[in-house]
Amino acid sequence: MKRYLLQRSLLLLPTLFGALTLVFFLIHLVPGDPIEVMLGETASAADKDELRRSLALDQPLMVQYRSFLTGLLRGDLGRSLYEQSSVTDLIRTRLPATIELTLCAMAIAVIISFPLATLAAVKKGSGIDRGALLFSLVGLSLPNFWLGPLLMIIFSIQLGWTPVSGRGGLDHLVLPSLTLGMGMAAILTRILRGSLLQVSNEDYVRSARAKGLSEKQVWLKHTLRNALLSVITIMSLQFGSLLAGSIITETVFSWPGIGRLTVQAIQTRDYPLVQGCVLVIAISYLLVNLLTDIFYHLVDPRITYGK
Amino acid sequence: MTLIKHENLTHRNKRDMVSQNFTSGNSRLIRNNTYHRLLVASLIVVLGGCRFSSSSNHNPGYLVVGIESNPLQLDPRYSTDANSVRIGGLIYNSLLRSDENSRLQLELAENWQKMDPQTYIFDLRRNTTFHNGQPLTAADVKFTYESILQAKNLSPKRALLKPLQAIDQLGPYRLRFRLAAPHAPFLEHFTIGIVPASSAGDAVSSATPPVGSGPFMLESLQSGEAVTLKANPSYWEGKPSLAGLVFKVVPDAMVRVLEFKKGSIGFMQNDLEPDVLPWIKHNTDAAIEARQGTTFQYIGINLTHPILMHKKVRQALAHAIDRESIIRHLIKDLGTPASGLLSPLNWAYEGRVNQWPHDPEKAKHLLDEAGFPDPDGDGPRPRFKLSFKSTNLDLRRRIAEALKEQLQRLGIELEIRTYEWGTFFSDIKKGNFHLYSLAWVGIQDPDIYHQIFHSASVPPNGDNRGHYSNSQVDQLLEKGRTAMDATERKRIYGEVQRILAEDLPYIPLWWWKNVIVKTSSLQGFVPYPDGDFTALKKVSFRSQTPAQ
Repeated sequence: MKRYLLQRSLLLLPTLFGALTLVFFLIHLVPGDPIEVMLGETASAADKDELRRSLALDQPLMVQYRSFLTGLLRGDLGRSLYEQSSVTDLIRTRLPATIELTLCAMAIAVIISFPLATLAAVKKGSGIDRGALLFSLVGLSLPNFWLGPLLMIIFSIQLGWTPVSGRGGLDHLVLPSLTLGMGMAAILTRILRGSLLQVSNEDYVRSARAKGLSEKQVWLKHTLRNALLSVITIMSLQFGSLLAGSIITETVFSWPGIGRLTVQAIQTRDYPLVQGCVLVIAISYLLVNLLTDIFYHLVDPRITYGK
Repeated sequence: MTLIKHENLTHRNKRDMVSQNFTSGNSRLIRNNTYHRLLVASLIVVLGGCRFSSSSNHNPGYLVVGIESNPLQLDPRYSTDANSVRIGGLIYNSLLRSDENSRLQLELAENWQKMDPQTYIFDLRRNTTFHNGQPLTAADVKFTYESILQAKNLSPKRALLKPLQAIDQLGPYRLRFRLAAPHAPFLEHFTIGIVPASSAGDAVSSATPPVGSGPFMLESLQSGEAVTLKANPSYWEGKPSLAGLVFKVVPDAMVRVLEFKKGSIGFMQNDLEPDVLPWIKHNTDAAIEARQGTTFQYIGINLTHPILMHKKVRQALAHAIDRESIIRHLIKDLGTPASGLLSPLNWAYEGRVNQWPHDPEKAKHLLDEAGFPDPDGDGPRPRFKLSFKSTNLDLRRRIAEALKEQLQRLGIELEIRTYEWGTFFSDIKKGNFHLYSLAWVGIQDPDIYHQIFHSASVPPNGDNRGHYSNSQVDQLLEKGRTAMDATERKRIYGEVQRILAEDLPYIPLWWWKNVIVKTSSLQGFVPYPDGDFTALKKVSFRSQTPAQ
């Protein structure tokens, strides 16, 4: 296991390298000039050239790339072109907000989907089952930019229970987590229900019943745990995409996270910041994938890695 | 990015997998413990990261102002984005400051004299101190301007100060600014905020912006969340009535409105969808005010295009556009039909220029005269096709659709292309467009005409993106720069406005109004034409509970 983890950790490096290389060249290919954004309308051509020179943006792309990689090896992600602050500091400020939101959204999704999917599978064809399927359908269909304001109107404006937006105490976390977690809860409910029904037809479940185990034991100890593998895969993928892609929710709820920072960086063609954000997002994805592999082993000890 | 693939896993025995479940053996207990540990660890991580009590924004007497985007750089030597400039205006004082009528008034300067067209002498107020208690002297002013001029500091404002040859300190409170040549618009640059001489020269050496001497001082700066200012108790004009200001960043316009409805925002200025104003009016106790502003919305034209280079075609387009209808229906009367770049609020505004009222018939005649007859009358074939570029904001798209429909009636086919800001602006700068729509914000001195319409100002040297060239305009604009007499300048720019209204390198659309939505308990706010926040230093709450 340790050897496998070491191998996987080493494999992260070429993947990260590939992602960063791709993004470096893509962001430079996109039309738009950071110097225009930084200096605005009034700057002279000479000043723009001077700034371009001082930021080494006049250098050939390969030279810039080499210098980016050299900085990266030293742990220096550079300075934001627009915010006049180091990329590392900006990411350090914003990342906790995104992690906080993602973990809470994930917790909400699990709290909603696990009991709902289990009940739906146990009582297949019943009203609960139909309700769970309807919930999945509705949850998947509701876009966050619509669900967010709807929740705000109900819980913040009408009932006055929560703040409308912004980051603060736990009360600030409720609505954005619910908005972000709802879509994931819908997916998990659907996948878990299907997986549970599939597993419930397996021989070992029949054997468990034949042994005289109670239905509760059969479903919770034998069926649910065997059905978890597919759910873990989906959860890991979702978790990675939530870390990277909760942009809409962060914008709607004025949540100062990494998603909003990335969008702002792309809009202003803030190359170092875009690269820094992509690095963080790529690392998040890879770490989540690695953790998922470890989880597979914990849930199903028959799954081993390496020799 | 890679996804987990099951081929990475090596199962001990595939048959085992389907015939065994995992509940047998001692490992169950161990695994259960593992789950519990993981669960507890997850909860610690989740809850540990959360702040249990709501922080900030609850100080009594603070006004919460909703803003759309994060102010990026408050240091007045480097700030260029609108919110940084506006918030910075409350933290920093400048030698002169524009008032609510866009006229320059004394601020840090007690008086100033123009010794000759190239020399200005300023005497500073003597009772002014920075927020740290240190007195503000001529050395601080000199330092501020010189640090902008130093090439290594990379200030975006350096180009503006190019005409400045030297600053001489004539005494602790006296300064002389010497220009290399007469340059009338330079006066506008005496509005740059002053920082202490002890500040870092560049913008990157310090994590926080330097202290100022303005009515409010920086209390906290949370990137992407809020900027909090508190009243300066020893402000030379007297302590502001408000205890402080919180500029809360809420990117979504609808959410800002909901925050206002809930009472967690007490003041908003502009950046609101026109459609939501009636809702705010009926559902909140807001005081809403719309005042004439200076932001100028226009259609830019590429004059190198074989069709658009004809003046009559441009005039036909101007006649074809029904501004009144767009203003009434799409922007809900938040604009006034414009005749040119300078609004009636500007001292150099000239009203006696060609106007282009909506007249489709006249537009058709002009197109016929220009040599672009309709090939099949009311048939489907157009006279010609043009593209129209715009940003992808919803309101901009709807305006583009309205323009398309209006031009279609004349037999002009408009292809709408919308882009995100960076790509759109890059295309415009490169001259890669037929028609586009944009707005000029914060126009003060009419010298802006030089930047936009002088034939030498084609990008990258300026913003003459449509490649307009008229030698008479060039001469007038050069004269306008060096003429020091205001009456003479007004005459010169009046002539420029008359020529441009005839040549139409831009088709003027409207001047936006500034919309202020504030809680009814707030009093004393005077809107500025450019949307400045300066007047917040004079506002106060009536006796009822303030919105925080």
